[in-house]
Amino acid sequence: MLPQKTAAGATQRRLLSPADNPLVRAVGRLPAGVHAKLLVAFVGTALLVVALGVLGLRLLGQSNERVETLGTLQERAFAYGKLRSDALHVRLLLGQNIAGDTFTNFPDLYVQRPAAAVLAIDRAITSAVAQIPASTFPDNLGFRPPPDDEIYLRRIRATGEGLSTVMREITEARAAPARVTSAPARLTSLRLRAELLAIDLNQHATELANATTARSDALIAQNASAYTRSRNLLIAAAAGAIVLALLLGFVLSWSLIGPIQRIDTRLAAIASGDFSGHVDVTNRDELGALAANVDRMNDELKRLYKELESASRHKSEFLANMSHELRTPLNAIIGFSQVLREKMVGEVNEKQAEYLDDILSSGNHLLSLINDVLDLSKVEAGQVELEVAPFSLHEALERGVVMVRERATKDGVQVTHTADPDIDLIAGDERRIRQVIFNLLSNAVKFTPAGGSVDVSATQVNGEVRVAVADTGPGIAAEDLERIFEEFQQTEAGLEQLEGTGLGLALSKRLVELHGGRIWVDSESGKGSTFVFTLPVEGTKL
Amino acid sequence: MTPAQILVVEDNKKNMKLFRDVLQATGYRTLEAMTGEQAVELATEHSPDLVLMDIQLPDIDGIEALGRLRADERTASLPVLALTAQAMEGERERFLAAGFDGYLSKPVNIPDFVATVKRYCEGAIDD
Repeated sequence: MLPQKTAAGATQRRLLSPADNPLVRAVGRLPAGVHAKLLVAFVGTALLVVALGVLGLRLLGQSNERVETLGTLQERAFAYGKLRSDALHVRLLLGQNIAGDTFTNFPDLYVQRPAAAVLAIDRAITSAVAQIPASTFPDNLGFRPPPDDEIYLRRIRATGEGLSTVMREITEARAAPARVTSAPARLTSLRLRAELLAIDLNQHATELANATTARSDALIAQNASAYTRSRNLLIAAAAGAIVLALLLGFVLSWSLIGPIQRIDTRLAAIASGDFSGHVDVTNRDELGALAANVDRMNDELKRLYKELESASRHKSEFLANMSHELRTPLNAIIGFSQVLREKMVGEVNEKQAEYLDDILSSGNHLLSLINDVLDLSKVEAGQVELEVAPFSLHEALERGVVMVRERATKDGVQVTHTADPDIDLIAGDERRIRQVIFNLLSNAVKFTPAGGSVDVSATQVNGEVRVAVADTGPGIAAEDLERIFEEFQQTEAGLEQLEGTGLGLALSKRLVELHGGRIWVDSESGKGSTFVFTLPVEGTKL
Repeated sequence: MTPAQILVVEDNKKNMKLFRDVLQATGYRTLEAMTGEQAVELATEHSPDLVLMDIQLPDIDGIEALGRLRADERTASLPVLALTAQAMEGERERFLAAGFDGYLSKPVNIPDFVATVKRYCEGAIDD
C-alpha cells in the first residue's frame, strides 16, 4: 500500500507561505533562466542606487545654488545698508547744520555765530554727499546691481547729485558778503531744499535696503521650505528604493526558494514511498525543468513500485497456493500412512511397518521442505516483519532443549544448558529466535553420535549476546564452513542423514541477520562443531 | 449412549475418505458435505456435535459457511473447527478471529486429530 499523506496540513502551510504569493508565482512563470532573473534583479537594484545618487546630487546642487544666491543678496544688503547709513548720516549732519542756525531768520544772530564751526559742518555734509553718487557705481559696490535695484539707485544718485548742487550753492551763499540783503532768504530756501533732498535720499536708501532685506528674508524662508521639501523627497525616494529593492529581492528569492522547498518536500515523500503527488511548481526556468524531472522520476518510480508490488503479490499468492496444493495430497499420504501404521484397520507385518515409516518420514520431510521454502521466500521477499519484544533468552533456550530432548535421549546424546545469570530479558522476535535455537539444537543432536553431548550457552560479549551450540559430532571440513549457510548446501554427513532440507541454516542466517546479528560456525573435522549466533543488545537490554 | 455425530466438510475425496474412516474407526458417526451450501444444509438438518470445516470449497468458502451457521439460531452454537491446508503464518489467528472454535492444519497428525476431535466432542456433550 502506498502511504497516503493528509493534504490538510500541507495546504495550510502553503497558504501561509510567501512562496505562494501571486507575484512570486508570476515571476516564477516568466520564461527566463535563473541567471537572467538574478542579473535583472542585481542590475535593477544597482540602477535604483544610481537613481537615488543622481537625485541626491541634484538636490544638493539646488541647495548650493540657493546658498550662493543668498550670499549675493546678503552682500548687496550689506552694501545697501551702508548706503542707508550714509544717507542717514547726511540727514543728521544737515539737521545739525540747521540746528546751528536756529535763528536763521535773525541775520544778526547768524552773523554773531562763529562762521568756522558752521563751515566745518557744511564741509562734512558735502563730503558725505560726495560719497553717495560715487557708491552707486558697480565698481564701488563690488557687484553689478540687478535691474530692480537700479531704479532705486538711479533715484539715490539723482537725489545725491541734487543735494550736492544745493550744498555747493549754500557754501557759495555763505561765502557772499554778509551784508547782501537777499542772502538770508536765499540761504533759508537752500536749506529747505537741502533738508527735503536729504529726507528723499534717506527714504530712497531705506527703501532699497528694506527691499533687499525683505528679499533676503524671503529667500531664507524659501530656502528653509526648499530644504524640507528636498529632504522629504530624498527620504521618500530612498524609502521607495529600499522597498522596491526588498520587493525585488523577496519576489525573486521566493520564486527560487519556493520551488526548491516544494521539490524537497516531494523528494522526501518519494523517499518515504509516497508516489501519489506531483511537484506544484509553475516556474519556467531551471527549477521548472528540475520539478518536471522530479515528476517524471516520481511517475517512473510509481510505475516500477506498482510492478514490484504486483509481482510481490503474485509471488505471495503463488506461494500460498502452492503451499495449499502441496498440503492437500500430503494430508492423504501422511494420514493414510498413519492410519495403517497405528493399525487402525488391522495388523501390518514388519516390512510393511518399515515402509510405512519410510512413507511417513518422507512425507514429513516434504512438509518441512514446504515450510522452509515458504519461510525462506518470505524472508527474501522482505515479508517477514519481526515482532520485537522483550523475552527471556533462558526460557527460549530451555524450550529448545526440551524440544530436542526426546530425540537426544533416544540417540544417547546428552543435552545441557549453561545459563549466564547476567542475561535475562533481551529484545527480539521470540518465535523467530526460538526457531533458530531449535534449528541449531536439532542439527547438533542429529549429527552427534551416541555417547556425545550438546551444550547450549549464552554469554554477553561486547554489547551483544552470544548463543553457542557446541556438539561433539564429526565436525565440518574447512571448505564447507561457509557453504553450509547457503540454500540446499549440505555436508556429506547431512546428505547421508536424508532428513535435513538444506534450508534450515540458510533460514537461520537470514533470521539472525534480520535481528542485526551474525551467525557462524567454529569447527574442525573430527573435533565437533560450535554454531554461534549473536544478537545486539545495545540499547535493547531491559 | 449414541456416539457423537461429526459433520466433515471436505471437497477432496481422498481426504474425505481419510477423515471419515478415522472418525468412524474411532467410534463416531459422520456426515459428509463436499460443498459449503451442503454443509449448512446438513448442519441445520442434523445439528451434529462437531463440524470440521475445510476453508477452500467449490461454492461458498468455509468462513462464509460458518457465518451462515452462526447467523441461524439453530446452528449458532455448534462447535466448528477449521480444517485447512491454508497454513501460512497468521492464518490460525485469522480463522479464530472469524469465529471458529479451533484450527487444525493439514496435513494432520492422526493421533493429534483424534485427540482434538475427542476433546471438542466431550466438551459438546458436557454442555
